[in-house]
Amino acid sequence: MRDRILTAILLVASGYAALAVAPRMNGYRLPGIHQGYAPVQPIAYSHRLHAGELQVACLYCHSAAERSRHAGIPAASICMNCHKQVTASFGAVRQEEELAEKAKRKPRPVVSPELGKLYAALGLNQTLDRDPSLPQKPISWVRVHNLPDFVYFDHRAHVAAGVACQTCHGPVETMERMRQHASLAMGWCVNCHREANRGINGKAVEASIDCGTCHF
Amino acid sequence: MADHPSTHGDSGREDEFPELVEPEISPRRSFLRAAGFTFAGGLLAGCSRAPVERAIPFLEKPEAITPGRAYFYASACAGCTAGCGILAKVRDGRPVKLEGNPEHPLSQGRLCAVGQASILGLYDSARLKHPLKQSKPASWEQADREISESLAQISRNRRGIYLVSNTITSPTLRRQIGRFLDRFPGSRHVVYDPLSSSAILDAHLETHGARLLPRYRFHKAEVIAGFDADFLGTWISPVEFAAGYRAGRSPDGPDARFSYHVQFESRLSLTGAKADKRVVIAPHELTAALAHLAAILSAKANHTVKLSGFGPAPVPDALLAGLAERLWEARGKSLVICGSQDVRTQVITNFLNHLLGNYGATIDLDLPSHQRQGADRDAEALLARLKDGRVDALFFHGVNPVYELPGWDAVAQTIQRIALTVSLSGTLDETAELAHYVCPDHHPLESWGDSEAVSGIVTLVQPAIRPLGKTRSVVESLGAWMGESQSTYDQLRACWKQDVFPRQSDVRSFEEFWEQSVQDGFAKVPPARRQVAAFRMAAVGNLAGAARARQQGAYSLALYPKLAMLDGRHAANPWLQELPDPISKITWDNYACLSPAAAAALNVKDGDVIQVEAGNGSGRAVEAPVLVQPGQHDRVVALALGYGRKVTERFARVGPEWLYGKSTVGPNGRVGVRVNHLLTFTEGALEYAGQPVSLRKTAGTRLLAATQSQHTIEEPSRLRAQGIQPRPILRETSFHQSRTGSNPSPAHEEEDLWPPDHRFSKHHWGMAVDLAACTGCSACVIACQVENNIPVVGKDEARRHREMHWIRLDRYYSEEGGFAVAYQPMMCQHCEHASCETVCPALATVHSEEGLNQQIYNRCVGTRYCANNCPYKVRRFNWFDYRREDRLQNMVLNPDIAVRSRGVMEKCSFCIQRIQEAKIEAKRRGVPVADGDIETACQQTCPSNAILFGDLNDPHSALSRLLKSPRRYRVLEELNERPSVHYLALVRNREET
Repeated sequence: MRDRILTAILLVASGYAALAVAPRMNGYRLPGIHQGYAPVQPIAYSHRLHAGELQVACLYCHSAAERSRHAGIPAASICMNCHKQVTASFGAVRQEEELAEKAKRKPRPVVSPELGKLYAALGLNQTLDRDPSLPQKPISWVRVHNLPDFVYFDHRAHVAAGVACQTCHGPVETMERMRQHASLAMGWCVNCHREANRGINGKAVEASIDCGTCHF
Repeated sequence: MADHPSTHGDSGREDEFPELVEPEISPRRSFLRAAGFTFAGGLLAGCSRAPVERAIPFLEKPEAITPGRAYFYASACAGCTAGCGILAKVRDGRPVKLEGNPEHPLSQGRLCAVGQASILGLYDSARLKHPLKQSKPASWEQADREISESLAQISRNRRGIYLVSNTITSPTLRRQIGRFLDRFPGSRHVVYDPLSSSAILDAHLETHGARLLPRYRFHKAEVIAGFDADFLGTWISPVEFAAGYRAGRSPDGPDARFSYHVQFESRLSLTGAKADKRVVIAPHELTAALAHLAAILSAKANHTVKLSGFGPAPVPDALLAGLAERLWEARGKSLVICGSQDVRTQVITNFLNHLLGNYGATIDLDLPSHQRQGADRDAEALLARLKDGRVDALFFHGVNPVYELPGWDAVAQTIQRIALTVSLSGTLDETAELAHYVCPDHHPLESWGDSEAVSGIVTLVQPAIRPLGKTRSVVESLGAWMGESQSTYDQLRACWKQDVFPRQSDVRSFEEFWEQSVQDGFAKVPPARRQVAAFRMAAVGNLAGAARARQQGAYSLALYPKLAMLDGRHAANPWLQELPDPISKITWDNYACLSPAAAAALNVKDGDVIQVEAGNGSGRAVEAPVLVQPGQHDRVVALALGYGRKVTERFARVGPEWLYGKSTVGPNGRVGVRVNHLLTFTEGALEYAGQPVSLRKTAGTRLLAATQSQHTIEEPSRLRAQGIQPRPILRETSFHQSRTGSNPSPAHEEEDLWPPDHRFSKHHWGMAVDLAACTGCSACVIACQVENNIPVVGKDEARRHREMHWIRLDRYYSEEGGFAVAYQPMMCQHCEHASCETVCPALATVHSEEGLNQQIYNRCVGTRYCANNCPYKVRRFNWFDYRREDRLQNMVLNPDIAVRSRGVMEKCSFCIQRIQEAKIEAKRRGVPVADGDIETACQQTCPSNAILFGDLNDPHSALSRLLKSPRRYRVLEELNERPSVHYLALVRNREET
């Protein structure tokens, strides 16, 4: 009898626990390889637009990939090279210009909400000049490609060997939101290293499959 | 349940079989059910959010900085006053490693153990982050205002203001102090060194008319006679001296030369261990030995000065005559040095060097050293004034007299009573605790500064990180109290523009000169000439018959600095505390060293606590555990300074916490015991050695944590195999033998059962360790610890031989042909036929195609078979997740390699992260890896250049060329492990018998 009561209590408790956890489950993910992981970013930056449509070279923003183990996320000042001028989509600017023409007034500056976050981070005012009274706050991006601590990965070696960015990062130029394309599991790395020893685009490369290449 | 027969009232059965209370849940099924739910609950609870990693880029990227790349900033080491030039390696805004600046004339790219470890002090969370007033946090404005007011008042009344500091080598700070003293009339600057050499300076005042410390040039010396001066370990400027010493001792090649080194000492020092001939004499016999040597040499030089009245020679006449003969033959190329704190003894030393024509040759007086400037007489006088109440303001910078000096602990209340005491210490040390105000200085890696440790070489100190707390440099603090607000940087530039720049004439524009100096880290500028008088014979004449009168005791005391701990400045550094002393191999403690005969006479053994009492019942005593130390004088007890500091109380919780764990600290709650109260001021100098003491055995014992328990490698004769030549793992030859080319190590040929499956088609990394060069200074051990994220395990684990150092410095004694000591650095040998690899069931240790024996942490399951099967015993197992509680200190971790967790084996990797870095950089540039591109951390820091890493496949590499030496051998070659680490036999300059 007592056992039954206990069972019932435990069952109910488990049910409540499950109920409590369930609504938040979509934010949860089990430990694993995170293939397909595409977190929401603080600014809805579109690789499809920049790398795909506008064909900005990967290394324009991720220039550290040639010189450092990290490809790096560009500093906000790199964004400002273009977005000092481009403050909203071309369509939105055209629309404002047409409206202004109809209403016989000067077109107002248009700032897209996402770019607004960039300007806010840099502490810029309406005319996109630095306003010392506004606080600066670095943009805290969510890291998508994240290897475990016991793996050493170095972009330099791969860029120098002529491995295309898309080999590991997938068709970034089609991604609206950045997504982990490959599994990034060890078997996947090793297979590529084996293949690469036959040459990349006719160029002889040396891709060791020694454990100590990545693990130290 | 009601009809269930109750047994509770049945007293008849109760006695024999007490009835168990029925369990709440009936046993098996209920248990399984509960276990099932628990598991399910655990699973649910375990479904936590996988950590979301953030990546936060710069808002505006500095043009010169790329995240993930290391940058090097030239600066100067502040581990001691030697002033070695360093490069601070900075990764993503935080310094992670210090390395010697290869261009710097003093360090020549090398660094000692203390220098290597000093970076941890930057991330010490016990450092003060703001000023203190009466131990309570205060603001800078408040402290400055009150100190200025107080100073003005004291100065108006012309009362005694004293600034107490250790040796200051910074021209800018010296200038600022000078201005401070001018500003406040009646103020004085007292300089003392906790490890004092003031007798050398005083002796030069007598013999050369200038109170200075000469610069010793060991590389020019062919015969070196050392008298109780541990110049390879702790004396004045060990990195520079070791490099010079090494330069004079290269036994290979056509231009081979090898100095002859005799060391007279009372206890076994690092320098004595390296000497070609070691003579054991008591501290009070030094003067007589030097006087008799001087008498022989002055006769040779036809001098009329008679040195007599120093008693009989403490060593055989033949020995002194032989040494005198050698010194005389090497006139102008010899060197006599003495570490004594007796001015007379130092005057005789100067006389000897004068007779031998060493001044201007191996001893430089024109470009003297500034590494020791202390005048012990002043420190003694200050204490007397303090007792008389004639001190009104005290400023402390770089010193901790309450801990360091005798007599100061008794005046603690006096210090608190005087009108103004200010400590400029960055941490709350024993003296700062008593001060009214603590105005914390920056860590040297946070601040601008400079250092002229040796005349003519001015090193710049530049910040490698922004200050972690609200600290302020001493230059600025002194300025603030004078009512100025110039920044340190401006002061520094002003000083350089006025004092340093005009000393040179090569560069016309100051800006250009400044830029170049910041980039190089130092400037070579000839100093203003200083008049040094010729040798004054009168100084020697005054000596005759004036031996220091001293009462004799049963034992004499020798207080000495340990290599890692020095004067206790770095006592809060766990790396240095855990570094095994190269002589005793003991970690985390100081102890009373006694010779085996003395220990037998007192009937004590290792760990027995004895009481050492000085000054006949004056209460100056310490209790310390005994260490039986071969090679020590039978009538000497040696105790290390630098222990028992209050800051070591934090180590009570270092190391893993488990059932059998013991605390690292001793019964006093600290690491080791303080012995500084046994020091005395004798004739105006701090006396470290020679005081008579009495010893008494107590009932106590204390465990000492030694990392080595076997001390000799000689095979006992009963175990020696007949007819088989022994192949010692540590080989020794004489210089003469190595010149004549007789090979001490015949090649070992063995039939090979292994298939030749390791082909090493590209590189084959290997290493050579020159035992003739290795001094045992242990810089490699700490460099490896910093580079490879090696944890600290604490005293109890070290005692269980669970220390984690990847390099072990094996120290061996031998008795054959006189007592001798030898060192052998032992790290993973990267064997081609590695026995660890064949036994690993998880394939976690495998061979690379470049000859590396790789340890793959994420594959390791911790069976420890590999460590059992390793004949070199170089594998280290993570028995625990060693606590890295001080979160701030984790900032020093090398981001390029993993931090190992519990249950994982680790060992030397030949600094694979540096190999990979060099290979990737070469790939990026499209060039092959050049010989010398890769330096392991141990090689890079070695002051005596004993370690060489390179490619065995490249016949032209420096390594391949070095290994052609007839001294080359491999340890335990008969096991056919075929190690990639080669050793070059130890060489001593010994007469052939």
